[in-house]
Amino acid sequence: MFKTLRLSFSLKNTYRVNSILYAIKQIPLIKRIIPSMVYQIRGFKIFANILSAIWELISVFLGKLLYFLLMIAAAASLYQLPTESSPQVFLHLLIILTFMGARANTYMFNPTKDKYYAMILLGMDAKNYTLINYFYAIFKILVGFTLCGLIFGRLAGLPIWQCILIPLFVAGAKITVAAYELWKYEKTGIANNENKLGGFMWILLAVLLVATYGLPAIGILIPTNVSIMVMIVTVILGLLSVGKILTFCYYKPMYKELLVRATMQMDPSAQTKIQQEQSFKTISTDRSISSNKKGFEYLNELFIKRHQKILWKSAKKITCAVLVIIAVVLILLMFAPEVRNKVNGLLMTYLPYFAFIMYLINRGTGFTRALFVNCDHSLLTYSFYKKPKQILQLFQIRLGEIIKINLLPAVVIGFGLALLLYVSGGTDNLLNYAVLFASIICMSIFFSVHYLTIYYLLQPYNAETQIKSGTYQLIMWITYMVCYMMIQVKMPTLVFGVMTIVFCVLYCIIASILVFKLAPRTFRIRP
Amino acid sequence: MKFIIEHLSKSFDKKQVLRDIDFTFESGKIYGLLGRNGAGKTTLFNCLNGDIKTDAGRFFMETDNGIRGVVPEDIGYVLSTPTVPEFMTGREFLKFFLDIHEDTISNSKSIDEYFDYMSIDAEDRDKLLKDYSHGMKNKMQMLINTIAQPNLLLLDEPLTSLDVVVAEEMKQLLRSLKTGRIIILSTHIMDLALDLCDEIVLLNYGVLETVDKSNLDSGEFKDKIIATLREDGNV
Repeated sequence: MFKTLRLSFSLKNTYRVNSILYAIKQIPLIKRIIPSMVYQIRGFKIFANILSAIWELISVFLGKLLYFLLMIAAAASLYQLPTESSPQVFLHLLIILTFMGARANTYMFNPTKDKYYAMILLGMDAKNYTLINYFYAIFKILVGFTLCGLIFGRLAGLPIWQCILIPLFVAGAKITVAAYELWKYEKTGIANNENKLGGFMWILLAVLLVATYGLPAIGILIPTNVSIMVMIVTVILGLLSVGKILTFCYYKPMYKELLVRATMQMDPSAQTKIQQEQSFKTISTDRSISSNKKGFEYLNELFIKRHQKILWKSAKKITCAVLVIIAVVLILLMFAPEVRNKVNGLLMTYLPYFAFIMYLINRGTGFTRALFVNCDHSLLTYSFYKKPKQILQLFQIRLGEIIKINLLPAVVIGFGLALLLYVSGGTDNLLNYAVLFASIICMSIFFSVHYLTIYYLLQPYNAETQIKSGTYQLIMWITYMVCYMMIQVKMPTLVFGVMTIVFCVLYCIIASILVFKLAPRTFRIRP
Repeated sequence: MKFIIEHLSKSFDKKQVLRDIDFTFESGKIYGLLGRNGAGKTTLFNCLNGDIKTDAGRFFMETDNGIRGVVPEDIGYVLSTPTVPEFMTGREFLKFFLDIHEDTISNSKSIDEYFDYMSIDAEDRDKLLKDYSHGMKNKMQMLINTIAQPNLLLLDEPLTSLDVVVAEEMKQLLRSLKTGRIIILSTHIMDLALDLCDEIVLLNYGVLETVDKSNLDSGEFKDKIIATLREDGNV
């Protein structure tokens, strides 16, 4: 037994240490100074081992601390109920959340990589391995919840014996659910992956979530006696269920089913295969599609026509949604004059918000992904396709296309905003209308140029259509963060609008120059 | 015409894959590039095709008019896993290619003539390439790479995953193509190399070397190749 424990620990640790080292090697700049033999170097190994040990400790306490702090204590304080009912609120939240967690986070039915390595690849005894690791996980729960239960329970005013009941209750709930699932597997042969809950489970969890936080808001709480009874019964059920877990003898076939399906998604090459197939599915098989153009225009037109579903159709859907929203606001403005002022004020100060909205509705990433997987991925292996002249010609055609697609909703939004401004009371400075419209159009063009430029300058994919460029991901992340932070910016529309227009025009000029200078060298499949 | 590589080298991190590639290929011949797994055959092809940068060295064409650098039109590169634009039909892909090269392709034929030449069935010509079988994609890739008549044709493991009929068709095609150009094909399969190639070149320990066949029967020749690969692998 100790051998299994030791082996599974060392396996998990090796896997974690190597993951840490691998992660470190992915960071731009740092990866340059780290030797490729990092996995062999003792110093690095020790460092990663320390991180791994810290992680193990954190996993015992940190998650639980955050859970109690955010999900229970902070949430309870929002209700502003009298102090004497705080133990009751605490138990109410804890009990329903625990039952949700017991189903959504069983450990037993979580198909993780370390289980796959141990039981499938290395052929360790499934029952031994599972039991030892399962009870270790339960042990961690007991330790973590004892500490957190005592701290937060006492703060909420629970007596000590009830605080001590908390870890036993949580462990009991988890064991009971796990035993029930094992029993169900025996009966039906279906192993439920906890990360893939069915539709019914999601609805149930949603209902429970509403019950958790909604009921206290309208003053309904589980009575304390009932809570205590539920906890005690669960502990007893948990104790009885331990027997089922110990005697269950189909761990091996169960995990085989659970893990083999799940590892399909973990294996990068299988994953990219699935993604590729999905990407190919977006290609329209409509036989009537054809083109009368020539050369690269021909290539582009066929591409656009066969990818209607992810390009024009989704742009059209967004446009329809925007039209509906604008119509609703217009009607509101007509029949409820009191909101006019408010809407007018919003339009004059909240233009930065639209940077984020324009970011969200832009089809750029979908476009470049489809471009690569369904087109460039194969054509870039032909030398005629890589001639500088051809690369730039196609870039121009594509840029025009992506700008057109994104302009459809942008024109409607820009026009709609100007219209709303007029209907909501107008503005003294007529320039505001023009700036509002022009800045939305500029933002739309900016995102189109941005995504296509980044794609041409960094070409992040390798031959297996995996993204291999850290810089690319970093830029995508920064783009998101900057747009997201725009939500916080409040600025007169005129000022922000003019700034946006200037920025977008400058960006487009610089981006085009960069593409023309660099793309013939950078637009390659990554090795 | 000759294709000359001089002192080409390439490393990944600290691993030197290509150490000192120095070789002259002559037109009219099929070269079989043999090497063990991980010897760097694909890396060499990728370098020659300009897909990855080399660390040092150069390669160029030597013609009757002197030497000149390699331009993209010189090279046709057929990958082991065939890659074709999945969203086009075979006919469309071919039309696109012919459009682009209308000034450069001499004596071009009709699209259907090309398909006939490649034995691609009439019913498959208007199917999307994503629905082509592996062998058909391979044929399509071969076709595109040969129409433009590149001076240097690189083939990475070309026949490994084809059925026997298609493989035989490909062999015939390659033999018919070799006049006036250089064909280099990498392979693991020694019999294929011996059957099809005029010269056997070993990529071993980062350098290219020929194996002299004079006075050896094919059995002895095979033994010699294996012995060479084994020896150098243990250096």
